[in-house]
Amino acid sequence: MKTTWKEIAPVPNHQDFLDVVLSRTQRRLPTQIRSGFKISRIRGFYTRKVKFTQETFSEKLSAILEGFPRLQDIHPFHKDLLNTLYDADHFRIALGQLSTAKHLIETVSRDYVRLLKYAPSLYQCKQLKRAALGRMATICRRLKDPLVYLEQVRQHLGRLPSIDPNTRTLLICGYPNVGKSSFLRSVTRADVDVQPYAFTTKSLFVGHFDYKYLRFQAIDTPGILDHPLEEMNTIEMQSITAIAHLRSAILYFMDLSEQCGYTVSAQLQLFQSIKPLFANKLVFIVINKIDLCTPADLDSETKARLDAILTSGDVEMLQLSCTTTEGVSEVKNAACERLIADRVAQKLKAGTNSSGTVGGRLGDVLTRIHVAQPLGGIVRQPYIPDAVKNLPRTNKDDPSRPRLARDLEEENGGAGVYNVNLRSQYQLADDDWKEDRVPEVLNGKNVYDFIDPDIEAKLAALEAEEEKLEATGFYDSDEDVEDAHETDLRTKADLIRQKREEIRQEAKMRKSLKNRALIPRSKLPKKLSVMEDSLDKLGYDTTALVARARSKSRGRTLQREALDAGEDGDAMDIDTPLSAADALKAKSRSRARSQSNRREDGVKSVASRDKAEKLMKLGQQRMNRMARQGEADRHTTAALPKHLFSGKRGMGKTQRR
Amino acid sequence: MAVRAQFENSNEVGVFSTLTNSYALVPVGSSENFYSIFEAELQDVIPICRATIAGTRIIGTLTTGNRKGLLVPTSTTDQELQHLRNTIPDEVKIQRIEERLSALGNVVCTNDHVALVHPDIERETEEIIADVLGVEVFRQTIADNVLVGSYMSLSNQGGVVHPKTSIQDQDELSSLLQVPLVAGSVNRGSSVVGAGMVVNDWMAVTGLDTTATELSVVESIFKLGENMGPSSINTTNKSTMVESFY
Repeated sequence: MKTTWKEIAPVPNHQDFLDVVLSRTQRRLPTQIRSGFKISRIRGFYTRKVKFTQETFSEKLSAILEGFPRLQDIHPFHKDLLNTLYDADHFRIALGQLSTAKHLIETVSRDYVRLLKYAPSLYQCKQLKRAALGRMATICRRLKDPLVYLEQVRQHLGRLPSIDPNTRTLLICGYPNVGKSSFLRSVTRADVDVQPYAFTTKSLFVGHFDYKYLRFQAIDTPGILDHPLEEMNTIEMQSITAIAHLRSAILYFMDLSEQCGYTVSAQLQLFQSIKPLFANKLVFIVINKIDLCTPADLDSETKARLDAILTSGDVEMLQLSCTTTEGVSEVKNAACERLIADRVAQKLKAGTNSSGTVGGRLGDVLTRIHVAQPLGGIVRQPYIPDAVKNLPRTNKDDPSRPRLARDLEEENGGAGVYNVNLRSQYQLADDDWKEDRVPEVLNGKNVYDFIDPDIEAKLAALEAEEEKLEATGFYDSDEDVEDAHETDLRTKADLIRQKREEIRQEAKMRKSLKNRALIPRSKLPKKLSVMEDSLDKLGYDTTALVARARSKSRGRTLQREALDAGEDGDAMDIDTPLSAADALKAKSRSRARSQSNRREDGVKSVASRDKAEKLMKLGQQRMNRMARQGEADRHTTAALPKHLFSGKRGMGKTQRR
Repeated sequence: MAVRAQFENSNEVGVFSTLTNSYALVPVGSSENFYSIFEAELQDVIPICRATIAGTRIIGTLTTGNRKGLLVPTSTTDQELQHLRNTIPDEVKIQRIEERLSALGNVVCTNDHVALVHPDIERETEEIIADVLGVEVFRQTIADNVLVGSYMSLSNQGGVVHPKTSIQDQDELSSLLQVPLVAGSVNRGSSVVGAGMVVNDWMAVTGLDTTATELSVVESIFKLGENMGPSSINTTNKSTMVESFY
């Protein structure tokens, strides 16, 4: 939970705010515009200016709004404290004004952007922009007061002490000048101002101390006078807020010597008046200045009133004197002890459900409190050397304490410079051996393998034992029993391995392209025989399949066969009358062909034809040799021919030169 | 006496050091601060050895030992082993063991009488542990964690286990080890108590983040402070525990 608001960004005053926003618009957006530009561009330019300014305004305003705590989201104590200090209504209104301003600026921007869409000229666009920014600036100027107020709130908020409303708290309250701050000074290290006049403390002060390994916060409150809540000033109301909202032990300080300037009966009266605020809290009446006056010294009437308060049972009286420090720690301890007990009881109650079983997180905590003790039996003796028991306790600041390695390091240049000698601690038979260099490898052998003097004897013994064991058949196992089964397994495994390797090789061969084009497998021609083979291998009958495939496939043309068939080649051609269909076919075929052979057209003799052919070949020779593009190849010329599009344009345009 | 320390900005003191009743191992660091924390407490009572294991500084994770012996993993070099042998008293046996689970500090948790080991440790290693450290060896888990060395911190006087260990498990372990046990944490709520602290019969070193309450638990269960006993955890300090943990 948030208890401090130190990191709220500073709130600028309205002038600075405006400067920031407008200069940002100026800096971030383009500034050059000419009346000759297209009107859509001019409109876009000014629309962007208006929109950007509005966005900056909105961004800055919402940053301020986000930075401040929302009163409904924080702890009631902080809410009330803020209310007392800054007046919640004022605070809310200030934030509300900011939020309204943001909204207004957005409306202005929207309106002017709409108008800009129809502006006919640069001048009008510019005027519209000026008007828009001007109206935004006017709205911003109206924020003068809220911005100043919020800056003040921010500065004050940042200096408030961090008070955690839920932790262990001792709350010190009472009339002015009864010694509340003195007590805080004596139990914590808080440097509170103590002066011999009323209302020295004008706000809440927090100090921390430890008791039983736990961190406590003690809160010093300003003094309260006995009058109705409505008449209380801001200083007193802070105390009341703290008393009302903090889950704490309340120490109500009283001064029986009346040195503070208020009578004992007035102090008792105040206790009665603020008693309704003590509901569900631990309350202690702390009698301060007992070196001057103790309860025993009181006159009987006041004593009776004091006793009447105490007899109700929920209020305990403690006594102390801050000047003599008598009873200070007792009061602190008593209050802390009661507070812990109370809080623990509440927690245990909250963690225990109606049926009396402990569950959830409390259960986990109780597991950690349980100490498992061994069930009788052996006693494990600790081993603590006698030297430990009479070790002198050393003080860190004592100059004569034994010097540590750290001190040595510091004297010799500090970490990174000083190098400790690891050999100095060696416990050897002879101290001279400490610094002896031992080679790691000697004659090609690792020295540490021979560190044991009898290593070779031991090795020999081991080897002898091994031989003996081997000789006696210790290692002969009964592997022969399963021999047949195992060999069978092995051969099978080998076969599987072999087959797998074959498949792998085949795939590799198949996959290697060897300069061929990459053809999809589905498009590759497959021979019928391949299919036949593979199906045969798998044990399928393929006769029907093959027969079907054969019947479907186009046979070889029978023309030549028909010619060759029958009589021998020397026989004379006979004009056999064609059937009607064949005659038609022959006719259409002859018409589809060109009627003349163009290779022979236009040449007079065979000789000239040969010459023409020779020339043609010569013309194509180079082209064919280089396997270059021919005139028949498709060719796309460059879209931007370099010679036309590079270099300076001396005369003419880019396109016309 | 329990002290807080940090090794080069790390709170996991148990990862970087080993402490027993007859020697202590600290890593060769870039400064003497960590060494001096041990030195200030132990003075000349037991030797403190600056060591590396396999060139690393995580010696607490890699080694395990007690008053009678020290076990180092197979990755320890010959020179490192010889350095340890030269520094540590001769009564302490040092053994390099070949074990697949080579982070011995994580898988073995021992005092001078009993050792708990990871359930998957090899049989031969188990025998070596029993011989070298002179302890009874039990395969155990701590709150269903197999890394017994990481989740448990043990001395002859007491032990701290993983904070989520059930009361029943704590009682069983306590009867096995014959020392009082408590479920606790170190380093502001860290459950790896074995890696977060080192302890022997008269001192403990925990991470710098350890809270006062955690330190009080440690001092009580290991009987380190004056008139502090295990029973104070659930009697005099009970309310403090509830208040700070709940």
